[in-house]
Amino acid sequence: MGLDILFKIAGVGILISVIHTALKQAGKEDMAQLCTLAGFAIVLLWVVQLLSQLFTTVQSVFKLF
Amino acid sequence: MWIKLIGCLLVIISSAWTGFSLAERYNKRPREIRQLIACIASLGSHIYYVSLPLAEALERASQIAEGPVRELFQQTALHIHTTGWLSAGQAFQKALGETSEKLALNKPEQEILLVLAAILGTVDQSEQQKQLELAMNELEKVHKEAIAARDQNVKMYRYLGVCVGLATAILLI
Repeated sequence: MGLDILFKIAGVGILISVIHTALKQAGKEDMAQLCTLAGFAIVLLWVVQLLSQLFTTVQSVFKLF
Repeated sequence: MWIKLIGCLLVIISSAWTGFSLAERYNKRPREIRQLIACIASLGSHIYYVSLPLAEALERASQIAEGPVRELFQQTALHIHTTGWLSAGQAFQKALGETSEKLALNKPEQEILLVLAAILGTVDQSEQQKQLELAMNELEKVHKEAIAARDQNVKMYRYLGVCVGLATAILLI
């Protein structure tokens, strides 16, 4: 794992916020919410994978099985 | 590395292009409705004051428009001219079917046009004039709506196209 996943998450965050603003200005609040939710779900998938990596690392460091 | 970069660029360019072409459609719609109104007004005067046959009146009315609207009127005139068994409404329907891919018109204005075309050539001059004015009023309303839709949507589609392209590129990397 490197820094690139962090940059990816940051990039998705910025783009989702821009899309949210564009949709909201056009009066499509529901689509804006949906879009934010989709972005959140995608980022959550990545974060969950990272978290599982963290837990396995902790397990292997302290030899908890 | 290079292949990735080129692929990302292609994704971004194509989705931005999609966004821009969708926005362009919203941009074109009010312009075409305005041309339709001008054409119908001209058609009305050609029918009422010059008393031209319908095919010729359509042909002359098409001269003040340009692009797909002109083509629509010219096709209608052509169909009336060449296929004698078609009524004006049927000819118009046929022409609309042929040019609807190039036109940026939506359902409401197409229906107004079809209703108008069904009456053209079946009643007397003053009645036709009345129907043309009615259609022009309806089109005027649709024109206002189209302008409101344009102001709302053009910017949104442009932003969305570019942003969705960038987001897809980030997701794929």
